Amino acid sequence: MRSRLLLPAVLAATLLATACGGGSGGAGNGDKTAAPAASGQAAATGSLTVWADDARAKPLQEIAAAFTRDKGVKVKVVQKGLGEIRDDFVSQAPTGQGPDVVVGPHDWLGKLVHNGVLAPLELGDRAAAFSPVALEAMRYEGRTYGLPYAVDSIALLRNTELAPQAPASFEELLATGRRLVDEGKAKLPVAVPVDPKSGSPYHLYPLQTSFGCRVFGTKPDGAWDPAGLELDSPGCLRFAPWLRGLGKDGVISTSLTADIATDAFLKGRTPFLLAGPWDAATFKAAHVPFAVDPVPGADTAPARPFVGVQGFFVGAKSANPILAQDFVLNYLSTPQAQRALYDTGGRVPAATAVLDQVENDPVVAGFARAAQAGVPTPNLPAMDGVWADWGLTQLAIVQGRGDPTELTTAMAGRIRAKIAAG
Amino acid sequence: MTQTLPTQPPHTPPRRHPASSGERRPAPARHRGLGGLATRIVLLAIVDALAVYGLLALAADRSWWMFGALLVGTVAVNAVYAGKRHVPAKYLAPGIALLLVYQVYVVLYTGVAAFTNYGDGHNSDKPDAVAAILAHSETRVPDSPVRPASVVARGDRVGLLVTQPDRSVRLGWAGHPLEPVEQPVYDAGGRAVAAPGWLALTYSQIAGRQKEISELRVPVTDDPNSGSLRTADGISAAAYRSTLVYDHDADTITDRAGGVVYRPTSDGVFAAPDGTRLSPGWKVFVGLDNFERILTDQDIRGPFLGVLVWTFVFAGVSVALPFGIGLVLATVLNGKRLGGHRIYRSLIVLPYAFPAFLAALVWQGMLNTDYGYVNVSLLDGAHVPWLTDPWLARLSVLAVNVWISFPYMFLICTGALQAIPAEVTEAARIDGAGRRQVLRHIKIPLLLTAVTPMLIAAFAFNFNNFNVIYMLTGGGPKDPDAPIEVGSTDLLISLVYKLAFGGSNRQYGMACAVSILIFVVVAAISVIGLRRSRAFEEQT
Amino acid sequence: MITWFVRVGWRHLVGVLAVLVAVFPLVFVISASLNPSGTLTGSNELFADTTGAHYRELFDDPLHPFGKWFVNSMAVGLATAIGSVFLGACAGYAFSRFRFRGRKAGLTTLLLVQMFPQLLAYVALFLLLSAFDDVFPAIGLGSRLGLVMIYLGGALGVNTYLMKGFFDTVPRDLDEAARIDGASHAQVFFRIVLPLVAPVLAVVALLSFVATLNDFVIASLVLNDPDKQTLAVGLYHFISYGVGRNWGVFAAGVLIAALPVLVLFQFLQRFIVGGLTAGAVKS
Repeated sequence: MRSRLLLPAVLAATLLATACGGGSGGAGNGDKTAAPAASGQAAATGSLTVWADDARAKPLQEIAAAFTRDKGVKVKVVQKGLGEIRDDFVSQAPTGQGPDVVVGPHDWLGKLVHNGVLAPLELGDRAAAFSPVALEAMRYEGRTYGLPYAVDSIALLRNTELAPQAPASFEELLATGRRLVDEGKAKLPVAVPVDPKSGSPYHLYPLQTSFGCRVFGTKPDGAWDPAGLELDSPGCLRFAPWLRGLGKDGVISTSLTADIATDAFLKGRTPFLLAGPWDAATFKAAHVPFAVDPVPGADTAPARPFVGVQGFFVGAKSANPILAQDFVLNYLSTPQAQRALYDTGGRVPAATAVLDQVENDPVVAGFARAAQAGVPTPNLPAMDGVWADWGLTQLAIVQGRGDPTELTTAMAGRIRAKIAAG
Repeated sequence: MTQTLPTQPPHTPPRRHPASSGERRPAPARHRGLGGLATRIVLLAIVDALAVYGLLALAADRSWWMFGALLVGTVAVNAVYAGKRHVPAKYLAPGIALLLVYQVYVVLYTGVAAFTNYGDGHNSDKPDAVAAILAHSETRVPDSPVRPASVVARGDRVGLLVTQPDRSVRLGWAGHPLEPVEQPVYDAGGRAVAAPGWLALTYSQIAGRQKEISELRVPVTDDPNSGSLRTADGISAAAYRSTLVYDHDADTITDRAGGVVYRPTSDGVFAAPDGTRLSPGWKVFVGLDNFERILTDQDIRGPFLGVLVWTFVFAGVSVALPFGIGLVLATVLNGKRLGGHRIYRSLIVLPYAFPAFLAALVWQGMLNTDYGYVNVSLLDGAHVPWLTDPWLARLSVLAVNVWISFPYMFLICTGALQAIPAEVTEAARIDGAGRRQVLRHIKIPLLLTAVTPMLIAAFAFNFNNFNVIYMLTGGGPKDPDAPIEVGSTDLLISLVYKLAFGGSNRQYGMACAVSILIFVVVAAISVIGLRRSRAFEEQT
Repeated sequence: MITWFVRVGWRHLVGVLAVLVAVFPLVFVISASLNPSGTLTGSNELFADTTGAHYRELFDDPLHPFGKWFVNSMAVGLATAIGSVFLGACAGYAFSRFRFRGRKAGLTTLLLVQMFPQLLAYVALFLLLSAFDDVFPAIGLGSRLGLVMIYLGGALGVNTYLMKGFFDTVPRDLDEAARIDGASHAQVFFRIVLPLVAPVLAVVALLSFVATLNDFVIASLVLNDPDKQTLAVGLYHFISYGVGRNWGVFAAGVLIAALPVLVLFQFLQRFIVGGLTAGAVKS
C-alpha cells in the first residue's frame, strides 16, 4: 500500500519514455534495407557505418544506395560535425563500435595513424585517376591511408567591379586596394580573415612562403620532416617585420574575423578577400561579381598556400573490413561518385577526369590553379601544438606586442621543445 | 481535507518541526484495494521479467561485470518494493539506480583512467597495437600487379582464386603457395569464380567471413621474398611483404630486414635496444605518474595558482551577482498588482531559452575591438579591447556570464518566493509586520534555505564552466611567451582541456588526473560551504 | 503621479531595464536569421536586408530534418523534465520527511557527485552505451530513450536539494494531520505535499527541459542518426567547422527552437502565479 503509487508511477514514467523513444528501435532495421539486387544476390550480413559532415552526407547517401542495391549491404551515413569526427573516431574506434569509414581532411592522418585506428588502403591502378598532390597528401610514413576526392586551398577572391585586373604581386594588390579606399569606393584595401583567439597561420601561409619561410623542411621523399622546423629561417625573420608593418598600417587587423571579412566582401567594401572554396557559394548566391586567382606573392619566392586534401579513410578495427574497402575502393573511387561529391560540395575535384569536366567553371578553375601552387598541410601528429604557438605569435606580431624577430625565434624554440617532448 | 488544515503560526519556522518517522506508527485501519496490490505485483513482475531477460543476455554475452551489477540491482529493487519496510528507499531507489549507472560509473571510470597513460599513441590495448604496427609495415611488393581474384572455400578453408591476364587461373590458401588450376569456372566478365572442389563464395558469404578473409595471406611462391597475396575488397588481390614479424610466444616484434628485435616496455610500447619505438603503443597502468607530473612539472604547476585564484573569483562572482540581480528582479516583479508582470517575466527569461554557446558567440562579435556593436554603435567608435586586454577580458567574461545566468537565478527566486506558503506571510501581515519586514525576516531566510544548495551547485557549475570561456575568449588573451598555452581568462577546466587536447598530444589519463584534483578542491569547498550554510537544518 | 511611481512605477522601470538588457543581444540573432549573407556578427547594420530564405531552408532540406529534430527535442525534453521532476521530488521528499541512516552523507554525496567535472565523461559514457547496445539496445547508442536515461541519471543531484528545500518550507503539521486521518505516506506525498509545491515542480520541470534542449555534448555522443537527433545536435551541423557555415539558418533554427520554451514558460507562469492557494483548494 505504501508504495502503491510509487512503483506504478516509476514504471509509467519509464513506459512513457519508451513510447517516446519507441519509434527508434525498429526503424533502423527495416527501412533502409534495399530490395535484393536484380542479380539475385541475397542481402549480405553486416552493414557499414560512414561518418561524414553534413556537406558530404548527401552525395554519400546516393552512392551508398547504389552499393546497397548491388551488394545488399546497408550503409548508414552518420552526420557529425567535422570537428568531432576526428576525436570521436580516435576514442571510439578501439571499442570496435566506431565507424567503418570516415571522411575528412588529410592532415588528420598523423594523429589517426599514431593512434592505430586507420587501415592502410591499396589504391592500385585507381591511383592514376588522381592528381599527384592529392595522392601525396594521403600518404603517411610511406603508406597510403585514404582515397582522395577534393583539394582545398585558399585563393584570392577579387571583386571584378572594383578591381578588374588581377594583381601580379601583393604590393600591387595593396596599391589597388589603397587607391580604392582613398577614392571612397572601398573601406578595406584587402580582407585577411584573422581569428582573434588563434591567429591566421593558414591564411597567411602563401604570403609567408613568398619570403621563403616554410613551416617544416622536407625529407628526401617529399614528406614533411618534423625534426626540421623552419619557422625561424632567414625568410621567416624577414617575414615577421613585414607582417608587423601590415599590422601597423591596419592592413591586417586581429579583429577582422572571418564573419566580418566575408560580410565586407559581400557588400563590396573590400576589393580583395583571402578565402577558401567553401565561402565562394555565398558570394555566388549573392551575385557578387568576383574572380578567383592564386594569392600573389609579397616577396621573391613563390607563394604556396596550404592544400587540404579531403578523402575517405577505413577504420582499422572495422567489423566489416572487406565491405568497407569494397565500398571505398570500388564505389567511391568511380568518376560518377567523384562527380557527385563535387556537385554538392563545389570543392576542387581530386580526380583529374572530373576536374577536366568542370574546369569551365571559372571559380573551380581559379581554386584549382591556386591549389596547384600549394603544398599539402602537414599531417604530422605534432601539428595541433604547432598551430597554437604559431597563431598566437602572429597575433602578437600584428598587434606589435614585442619585437617581431624575437617573437619569431622564441616561438620556434617553444615548438621545437614541444616536438622533442612528444 | 485541506480546508480543515491547522494554520501554521508564522513565527515558527516550519523546518524546526521535530522529525517524524511515521513508518513506525501503527497503521490505522484503511481501505486496502486489492487492485493496488495486484498492480504492484504486476509491475514488479514486469521489472523482474526484464531483468531476467537482461541477465540471460548478459550471461550469454559473458559480460559478468554487468551481470553482477544487474543481479544486485534486481535483488535490491525487489527487497525495497516487495515489503512494507524501507520506506525512504522506495522513494530513492529509482533515482539512485540511474545515478549509479550513469554518474558514479563515469566518476569511477575517470578515477581508473587517471592511473593509466591513455592518450595519443596509447589509445587501445596491446593486440590492437600489434595489429596496427604489422598492418603499417606491410607494403606492396614493388611492381607486382593487382589481379582479379575470387574468394573460394572448401569446407572451413578459404582460398584465393587468381585470374591471370592470359585467363590461366591459380589457386592458393594460407601456407599453401599458388598453383595452377585446371577447368576453372568463369563468370561473364572472364574472371574465374570457382575451381574443382572449391566453391565460389557469394558476396553475403564473404561478408559473413570478413575477418577470416581479410586476414588471409596466400604465399605467392615458396620464396618468402615474393610476398603473400591478400585481398582487401574480395574481388582483387595483390602481393604484399611485411618487414616486421610478431613472435607471439616471445612477445617481440622483429624487423626482418635488419634483425632488430623490439620488446614491450613498461610504458606500453615496443622499443628496440637503441630506444627506437614502434607506433602505436597501448594503454598501461602507470601508477601515480600522472599525479606526480602535475605536482612536479613546472610547466603545469607554474600557472596553476593564478588560474586557481581566477577560477574562484569567476565562479564566486558568477553566482553572487546573477543571484543578487535575480532576487531583486523576482522581488520587484512579484507583486500581483504590477500590470504586465507576466510580460516582463517572459521577456527576461529569453536569454535562458537560447543556447549559452550561441549567446557567447554573439557577445564575442558584439565585443570585437574594431567592428563590434558595443564599440562602434554604443560607444561611438571607441576601440576598447574588451576581449584582448587581460583585465578587460576578465571583466567581459564575467559580464557575459552574468547576462547568461541571471534569468536562471530570476526563475529560481521567483519559484522559491512563490513556494512560500501564503499563510506564513499573511499571518505576519496580520500580526502587523510591514512589507519590508516580511521580506527581510520571513521571505528571504526561507528563500535562502531553499536555494542555498542551488547556489552551491551553481558555484560548482561555474567552477567548471568550460563553454562560456571557450566560446568567448578561448581562455585568452594569451601570452605567447608562457611555457604552456594559458591565457588570462582560463579556468582550471579549460586548463585541463588544453593539457589533454590542446597541445600536440592528447593525454587523456593526465586530464583525468587533473579532473580528480579539481573535484577534490571543489568538493572540499562545497562541503565546507554546506556545513556553514543552514542547508542541513536538522540538528538532531 | 509620484505616489504611483513610488508604489508601482519604479517596478516598471526596473522591469523595462531588465528586459532591455536581456533582449538586446538576441536582436542580433533575429537579424542574422533574416540576413541573406549568413554571417552572425559580421555586420552591425541590423535588419539592413531581410529574407525568409533561412526559415524556408530549415523545412525543406531532407538532409537536415528540422521538423524531426524539433519533435525529438520535445519528446526527449518532456520525458526528461517529467522524469527529473518525479525522481527529484521522490528523493527530496524522502530526505525532507524521513530520518534514516546515511541520510546526511547521502545528501552530501548526491551534491558532490554532481560536481565532478564531466568534461571527460564522453569516453566512459560511450563505453557504457556500447555495452548496453548488445543487451538492451533500447537504451544503447543511437537511442533517444538511452539519452533520456543519461539525463535522468543526473536528475537526483541538483533537483533533490532544490525539492528538499521546498518540501522543508511546507509545514510538517500538514502531513502529520493527514497521517492522523489515516493517509499512507504515499497518499500524503501525492495528494498533499506535491500539490502544495506544484509551482516548484513547474520551475524544476522548466529548468530541466531547457537544460535538456541545450545539451549538445552528450546528445551528439548518443544520437548519430539525423532522424533521431535533437535540435542542439542537428543545428550544430550548420555551423560545424569547415565548409559553408551557415549562421543564418542556424539562427533561424535556434529562434524556432526557443519558441516552445517561451510557450511553456507562459503556460507554467500562469500555474506558478496561481500559487499555493489554488493548488490547495483544488485538492
